[in-house]
Amino acid sequence: MGPRSLSTRLLASVSILLIVFFGITIAALDFAFRRVTEQAMHDRLEAQMLALISASEEDSSGGLQPAPEKTEERLKNPGSGLYGEILRSDGYPSWRSNSLTGTGLDFAVQLPSGQRQYRQLHRGDGSPVRALSRSIAWEFDNGVTRTFIYSVAEDLEPYYAQLNRFRGQLFGWFGLLMLLLIGSLAFLLRRLLTPLRRIEHEIEEIEAGRMTELGTEYPRELLGVTTNLNTLLRSERERLARYRNTLGNLAHSFKTPLAVMRNLLGGSNGRELAVAKQLDEQVGRMDDIVKYQLKRAAASGGTGLGTAPIDVRTALEPLRAALLKVYVERNIDCELVVAPLCLFSGDREDLTEVAGNLLDNAFKWSRGKVRLTAERLTDPTARRDGLRLIVEDDGPGIPVDERARVLDRGARLDERVSGQGIGLSVVRELAQLNGGTIRIDESPLGGALIEISFPAT
Amino acid sequence: MRVLIVEDEKPLRDSIVEQLQQHGFNVDAAADGEEGLYCGREYALDLAIVDLGLPKLNGMELIKKLRAEGKSYPVLILTARDKWQDKVEGLQAGADDYLAKPFHFEELLARMQALLRRSGGWAQPVLRCGAVALDPRTQEVTVNGRRVDLTSFEYRILEYLIHRAGEVISKGELTERLYAQDFDRDSNTIEVFIGRLRRKLDPDDSIKPIETLRGRGYRFALQRESAA
Repeated sequence: MGPRSLSTRLLASVSILLIVFFGITIAALDFAFRRVTEQAMHDRLEAQMLALISASEEDSSGGLQPAPEKTEERLKNPGSGLYGEILRSDGYPSWRSNSLTGTGLDFAVQLPSGQRQYRQLHRGDGSPVRALSRSIAWEFDNGVTRTFIYSVAEDLEPYYAQLNRFRGQLFGWFGLLMLLLIGSLAFLLRRLLTPLRRIEHEIEEIEAGRMTELGTEYPRELLGVTTNLNTLLRSERERLARYRNTLGNLAHSFKTPLAVMRNLLGGSNGRELAVAKQLDEQVGRMDDIVKYQLKRAAASGGTGLGTAPIDVRTALEPLRAALLKVYVERNIDCELVVAPLCLFSGDREDLTEVAGNLLDNAFKWSRGKVRLTAERLTDPTARRDGLRLIVEDDGPGIPVDERARVLDRGARLDERVSGQGIGLSVVRELAQLNGGTIRIDESPLGGALIEISFPAT
Repeated sequence: MRVLIVEDEKPLRDSIVEQLQQHGFNVDAAADGEEGLYCGREYALDLAIVDLGLPKLNGMELIKKLRAEGKSYPVLILTARDKWQDKVEGLQAGADDYLAKPFHFEELLARMQALLRRSGGWAQPVLRCGAVALDPRTQEVTVNGRRVDLTSFEYRILEYLIHRAGEVISKGELTERLYAQDFDRDSNTIEVFIGRLRRKLDPDDSIKPIETLRGRGYRFALQRESAA
C-alpha cells in the first residue's frame, strides 16, 4: 500500500485526537459524578446516623432503641433499602431495623469508641450496600457508660442505576457530538481539499493528454504551485520548439554550403577536377551524418507532458497525399488502414518523421502497392494506448541477412545497407527514443514489412 | 522552357542558373521571397524552383500566394531542413515535388523534366508524336527512329512545341519562354528557326510536323502517342 491520502491522514489523526480527548473528558466527568453522588450518599447516611442517635432512648434491658415516633419510616418497612442497627459493644444486638428483615445483611462490626467507618457490604442475595458505622459512648441515667456501635446502610442499586443512566447519557451525547464533529470535519476537508483534488484530476488529464495545462481558478495558496507548473509545462514545450528550430537552422546552415559544394563540383569548373567524384562522396557522407544526427537530436523522445495525443489518421492522411503527389507517375496504390480511435501518445513531428521515412522507402521500392496499417495497442493498466505501425510494399524486400544490419544499433552510417538510405536508421532511432521497437519481415504483398510498435504507457 | 529559381544562397543560385542555362533553360533568378513573388507573378514561367528557407517571404508563403493567384506551373521545393512535416506542408501549399539539399544537379534536372513533362500532360519520359520522338533526358530527337541533329535553340523550340503538342503557341509566347529577358526579340528569328526545324525533321515534306496558323502562331500537329 502506498502512502494514504492527505484527507484520510487528517481525518484519522483528528479522529484519534477526538477519541482521546473525549475519552479523558468522559472519564473526568464520570469520576466527578461518582464523587458527587457518593458524597451525597455519605451525607444522607450521616444524616440518618445523627437522626438515629438523637432518637435513641434507653430501654429496660440496658440497651438503646430509637423512639418509634422519631424513627425514619423507611427503617420500619422491610425491603425499603435503608437499614439500621444498634449494637452494644459486648455483642448484644440492642436494636435492628425492621427493614433488615430477610435481607441477610450483617453489619458484623468492631469499632473502637469514637471512631466511624464507611464500608461496602453485601446483602444475603449479593447486592451491594453502603454502610456507615459509628462507635459512641453512651452515658446512662444511672451513670454507667456503655459503648454502642450505630450502623446505617443504604442499598447501592439505585445509586448504580443512576450512575449507569448518567453514563449512558454521557456516552450518548459525546458519541453524537464526536460523530457530528468528525462529520463536519470530513465535510470541511472535502471543501478545503477540492482544489487539490482538481489539481490531481487535471494532472491526470494532462498525463492522458486531454489537457495541455492546469486551469487558473485556484485559491491564492495554490496559485503559486499551479502557475509554476503551467510555466514549467509551457517552457518544456517551448524549449522543444526552440531546440528544434535551432537544430533546423543548424541543418540549414550545414546543408546550404554542402549544396553549394555539390553544385560547384557538378558545374563546369568542378567537373574538370580530378577528385570531383571523391569530393562529392564526402559531401554525401557529411550530409548523411548531419541528417542522421540532427533528426535524432530533434526527436522529442516520448510523451511530453501537456501534449495531446495525435490522431493517427489525421497525421497520416496528408503524408499519404503528399507521397502520392510526388510519386504520381508510379501509379502506386497506397492503402491506409487505420483502426478507429488510433492515437499516438507522443510528438506529431516524431510520428510524421517515422511514417514519412517508412512510406517514402515503401514508395521507392514498390511495384505498385503500398499498405500502411495502424493499430491500437491496449493495456488496461496503462494510461495511454500504444500504437503499431506497419508499412508494407510489394517491392524486392530486405534480404534476411541484411535485416539485422539495418537494425544493428552499432552499425556505422557508412556501413548501412545500400539502397535503404539513412531512412531506416532514423526510423529505428526515433522509434527507440519513443520507447518503441522495430521489426523487419516479409510482407504478404511480397516486399518488405516494417513494423514499429510503441507500447502502451 | 522558362524557369524561375528562388534561392537566397548566391553561390548555389549562380551555380544552378549556370547549369540550367547550359541545359537550354531560360532562367530567371530571385534572391528572396518578395523578388520571387514578383517574378512568379510577372513572368510566363514553365516551372519554379523555390527554396523553403527564404528571407522576406518564406517559400511556403510564396507558393501559397502564387497558387492563390492562379499560377498553375509546377513548383519544385528545395529544403535544407529535410523534415517530413515541412515536405508535407510544402506539397499541401501547392508544390509538386521536393528535393532535399544537398542534391546533385542531375537529380534536380530529372525532377524538373518530369514535372515539365507532367504539366504538358505527358506520362512517359520519352515524348512521342507520330514519327517524332524527343527524350528530354538526353535531348535526343528521332524521326522514324532516325536521329536528327539539332542546334541548342532548335531543340528548345521543338521541345516546347512537343511539350504542348496540339496547342497553338504564338510567336510571342515562344520568344518569351525561350529567350532571356535582355535578348533582342525579333520574331523573324523564330520563323527562321521553325523553317530550319521543318527541313531537319521532315526533309521530304511528308509528315508535316509543325503547322503554321496565320496570325496566331504554330502548332505541333502530330498526334501524341498515349502511354504504351
